[in-house]
Amino acid sequence: MTHTSSSGTVRKGGTAKRNGRGLTGLLLVSAPVALLGWLIIYPIFNAVARTLFTAGDEGLHFSLDTYQRFFTDGYALNNLWLTLWVTAVCAACLMAICLPLALYLRFAKSRVAAVVQGLALFPMFVPSVILAYALIRTIGPNGGVDLVLNAVGLPKINSPYLTPWGPVIGLVWDNIPLTTLMLVAGLGGVSDNAVEAARDAGARRFALLRYIILPQIGNAMLVVLSFTVLGIFSAFTLPYVLGPASPEMMGPFMQRTFSQLSDSRMAVTQAVITFAICACFGAFYVRSIAKNREARR
Amino acid sequence: MAQLSLKNIGKSFDGTDVIRDVSLDVADGELVCLLGPSGSGKSTILRMVGGFETPDRGSILIDGQDVTLILPEKRPTGMVFQSHALWSHMSVADNVAFGLKLRRMPRREIQAKVADALGLVGLKDYGTRRVWQLSGGQQQRVAIARALVLEPKILLLDEPFASLDQHLREHLREELRDIQRRLGITTLFVTHGQDEALALADRIVVLQQGDLEQVASPDRMYRAPETRFVAGFIGSMNFLACDMRHGRADHPLFPVEAPVADGPVELAIRPEALTVAPARAPQAKVHRTTDYGSHLLVDIDLADGTRVKAMCPPSARFAAGDGVTLTADRVTLFRGQKKLAEVSPRPARELSHA
Repeated sequence: MTHTSSSGTVRKGGTAKRNGRGLTGLLLVSAPVALLGWLIIYPIFNAVARTLFTAGDEGLHFSLDTYQRFFTDGYALNNLWLTLWVTAVCAACLMAICLPLALYLRFAKSRVAAVVQGLALFPMFVPSVILAYALIRTIGPNGGVDLVLNAVGLPKINSPYLTPWGPVIGLVWDNIPLTTLMLVAGLGGVSDNAVEAARDAGARRFALLRYIILPQIGNAMLVVLSFTVLGIFSAFTLPYVLGPASPEMMGPFMQRTFSQLSDSRMAVTQAVITFAICACFGAFYVRSIAKNREARR
Repeated sequence: MAQLSLKNIGKSFDGTDVIRDVSLDVADGELVCLLGPSGSGKSTILRMVGGFETPDRGSILIDGQDVTLILPEKRPTGMVFQSHALWSHMSVADNVAFGLKLRRMPRREIQAKVADALGLVGLKDYGTRRVWQLSGGQQQRVAIARALVLEPKILLLDEPFASLDQHLREHLREELRDIQRRLGITTLFVTHGQDEALALADRIVVLQQGDLEQVASPDRMYRAPETRFVAGFIGSMNFLACDMRHGRADHPLFPVEAPVADGPVELAIRPEALTVAPARAPQAKVHRTTDYGSHLLVDIDLADGTRVKAMCPPSARFAAGDGVTLTADRVTLFRGQKKLAEVSPRPARELSHA
C-alpha cells in the first residue's frame, strides 16, 4: 500500500459548511445585500413599475404614455442629446488630459511628480458649488479673464458660461482627480520591467504607448470611461449652475419636471431612461471585464 | 560577436556611491558572471550596460564604440529580466516577434526567426499560447528567445532564474550555457547564487559595495580567493582567528608556518580541505552530521568554542559527541581583508598531542 503525503493547503476538520462558517459568511453578507435590495434594487423596480402602470378609473393598467411623450417631445430629445454630447466630450477631454498626466505620474522619477500629483488631486477637495462659483467669477461675463483682457486692451471672451461648454469645463475640472487616480492605479499594473523590455526590443515612446502600455491598461480605461459616463450623465449641480437653460442636461431637466411641472411620473420616466442608458454602459463594462477574466482562465 | 569594455564607470543615487570605479573587459563570446550580495551594484552595472541607467563617470564601449549615452532602444544589447517581463496581452510568438516587427522586417522573415528562436529554447510548438499559460521556466525561456531573436551583440541576464525552483534552475542554466556556447554570444550574467556563477561562468566578477573584489575564473575564485570577503562569499569557508609569531600560527590545531609578519591573522580552510578522523582524546567533538547524499557535512566544535564544518565521504561514520582529529590540506592566511599567504600544512596530528 502506498501512502502519499502533501504539504499543500489541505483543510483539516471538514468543509466550511460543516464547521458552521457557511452560516457566518451568509450572515455577514446579508446586511449589505439587504441594504442593496432596499435602497437600490427595490427603488429601480418601483420606478420602472410607476412609469409602466398608471392609475385609471378601472384601477392600474399598463401604459407607455410617458415614454411616448418623452420620445416624441423635441425638447426632451434635445436635452437627451445634449447630455449625451456633454458626456462624450467630457469623456474625451478627460482621457486627453488625464492619460498624459497619469503616464507622467507613473513613470516620472523626479520630485516634481509629487507636486503635480498634489495639484491634480486638489479639485477633489473642492465642492461642486464652490467650483461653479469660481468658474463663473473666472470665465463668466465680466469675470477674471475679461478683466485681465480689458486691462491689456483686448476684447472680452465669448464666455462659455450658460453654453454647453460651461458644464463641460466644470465637469472635466471636477473629474480630473478621480480619473487620474484610476488611470495611475491601472498603470501600476504595467511593470517597469515590461516597459524596459520593450525599450530593449527597440520600442520608442509612441510604440511603447501603443503596443505595451495601452493594451495593458484596457480594463482601467474601461473603468474610467464607465465612471465618467455614469457620473457625468447623472450630474446635477454643475450643469444646473453653469449650463444653458435650454436645452438642459438630464439632471436639471428631471429636477425641473418634478418640482416646477409637478409631473412626478414624467420625472421618473426621465430617470428610468437615464438609468437605462447608464445601465448599457455598465453592462458593457461588466461584459468586457468578464471577457478578459474568461480569456485568462 | 562583440567585446564589452567598462572604463572607470561610477554611479551615485542620492549622493550615495553605488558603483565606485569599475573597469572590466569582457572578451568576445565570453560569459562573465557578476556576483555579489544584495546592494553590491551588480544589477546597476548590468542596467548601465543595457542603457537603463547612465553612469555618472566613465564610459561603456561595445566593440570599441562608446555607447554610454545611447538609449536602450538603440543599443546592440538584449536583456533578460528576473521577472521575465513578458507582455501578457500578447501570445508567445508575438512577444518574441515584437522587436522584429518594430524593425519592419518582412512577415515571413519574422515568422522564420521566431520559429528558430523558440526552437532554440525548446518551445517550438508554443507560439500560439498566451504567456500566462506557461510555467515559470517556460516563461523565462520565452524571455531568452525574445532577447536572442534580435541577435544582440551583448546578452544581459539579470538574475533570470532567481524565481525558479532549484531543479529547474539547474536545468535551465545548463541549457543557457549550451545556447550561449552555440551562438558564441558575449554574455553578462548577474546572479547572487555562487553555485550558478561557478557552474556557468568563464570568469566571475565578485562585487562588494560598488567595488570589484576579484575577477577570476571559477576555479581560481574558489581555490585562490584574493580577499577575505571573496573567501567567505564563494562557497563555504572556516575562519579561525589566531596570531602569527615568528612565522608560525599559534592556533593549537593548525600551527601553519608562513613568511608572514607577526600579528593577528585568520586561517581560512575549506570544509573539503579538512580531513576528519576518530580520536581517543576528545579535544574536538562532533556536534552534528548532515547527510547530503553525495557527501557528509560534519559540524565540529573545537576546544575554544569555534565551530568548523568538514566535508567527509558519505561512507564516513560519525555521531554527535565523537572525538575527532582534524588535518588541513590547504590553508589561506588573511589579515583584515588582505590575503597574506597560502600554505599546505604538514600531515595530520592527533588533537591530543596538539
